[in-house]
Amino acid sequence: MAELVGVFAACHGPLIARDWDVMPADHRAKLAAAFDEIGKRLRAARPDLLVVVSPDHWVNFFINNLPAICIGVGDEHDGPPEPFMKKVYPRERLKGHAAFGGHLLQTALDSDFDPALSHRLRLDHGSCIPLWRIGVDAKLPIVPLLVNDLEAPMLNIKRCLAWGRLLRQAIESYPEPLRVAVLGTGGLSHSIGETTMGWIDEEFDRTCIRHFENGDETQLEAFLTSELPRTGNGAHEIRDWVIAHAAAGSTGFELIDYFPSPATFVGAGFASWKPVATVA
Amino acid sequence: MTDYWLSKLFFDLQHDAGLAAAYRADRAAVIDRYEIRPEVRKALLEDDIGILAPRVNAYLLRFYFQIRGMPEAEFIAKLHALDASAKMKAKGVANG
Repeated sequence: MAELVGVFAACHGPLIARDWDVMPADHRAKLAAAFDEIGKRLRAARPDLLVVVSPDHWVNFFINNLPAICIGVGDEHDGPPEPFMKKVYPRERLKGHAAFGGHLLQTALDSDFDPALSHRLRLDHGSCIPLWRIGVDAKLPIVPLLVNDLEAPMLNIKRCLAWGRLLRQAIESYPEPLRVAVLGTGGLSHSIGETTMGWIDEEFDRTCIRHFENGDETQLEAFLTSELPRTGNGAHEIRDWVIAHAAAGSTGFELIDYFPSPATFVGAGFASWKPVATVA
Repeated sequence: MTDYWLSKLFFDLQHDAGLAAAYRADRAAVIDRYEIRPEVRKALLEDDIGILAPRVNAYLLRFYFQIRGMPEAEFIAKLHALDASAKMKAKGVANG
């Protein structure tokens, strides 16, 4: 049986890539240190497979066809299309894992979930900035779980928690002895293309972190359901953290670093969870 | 209210470098390939963010002005000018 060996989350603001060489050196060093720490912990977990939970930034999907959630079941994915990404992460193809992707899809359908599927996704900066900065080995297969975090209406938080539990169930029911890690990307608060653009809602972020630390799903759900509509639109990506959190069993959250990052427009959050073994 | 054809124009510009170059050379000619309403067409030609923003996803709006060639500081200043209270929240933004 497969095993969940590590759960992580990191921000992915595009300016991390676009402005990496020109941002203030001390700021770059803080970002680099946090990503490096995740990389260290990920390598220590010795994963055979990484599930990346991330939004799609209008790359694969548009409003004529916009899944709430989509599983990448292909053997291969395409690398990022953004010119600023090609500069730092010039990978044209990323390795997938069709067998686990298919198992996750089937487990979802058998459990009354209705995901979309894709046999070939193009992974944008949302997935690839963390992969680049964490230093994920090109040989490590990726199974993308793309979540609509950009265009309302979106999955509610209760459903994100359920998706996290489902992901865990799929990992633990996979018949091969795979070591699986999960990486949620995005957040924390930011505001993009709206009248508050640039706003980093530190109070929201710190409360959110407290709820992850506390581990009470009901409180986390109540807080996010009430506060997400009141903060910047980028905070909707917290859904990816929530899925990671629930996959870990909603416990064992450890903040690696958090700081407002005006240079990249985001509340820069980095975390890992110590997955607790499920009692059979 | 989402404007489908405005959104489609922005999406296509993001995905097609040739179209983006054509747009920078002659905005009106490219706009006329889409079913864009007259008031929206005027807003595109005048960079009237106040008209465009409520009609399109905020991320697509940002991509559009990047492709259009507007410096991000100018884009942010225009957004902030739409809402004085929002500007206060975003104070401290380097480019705002």
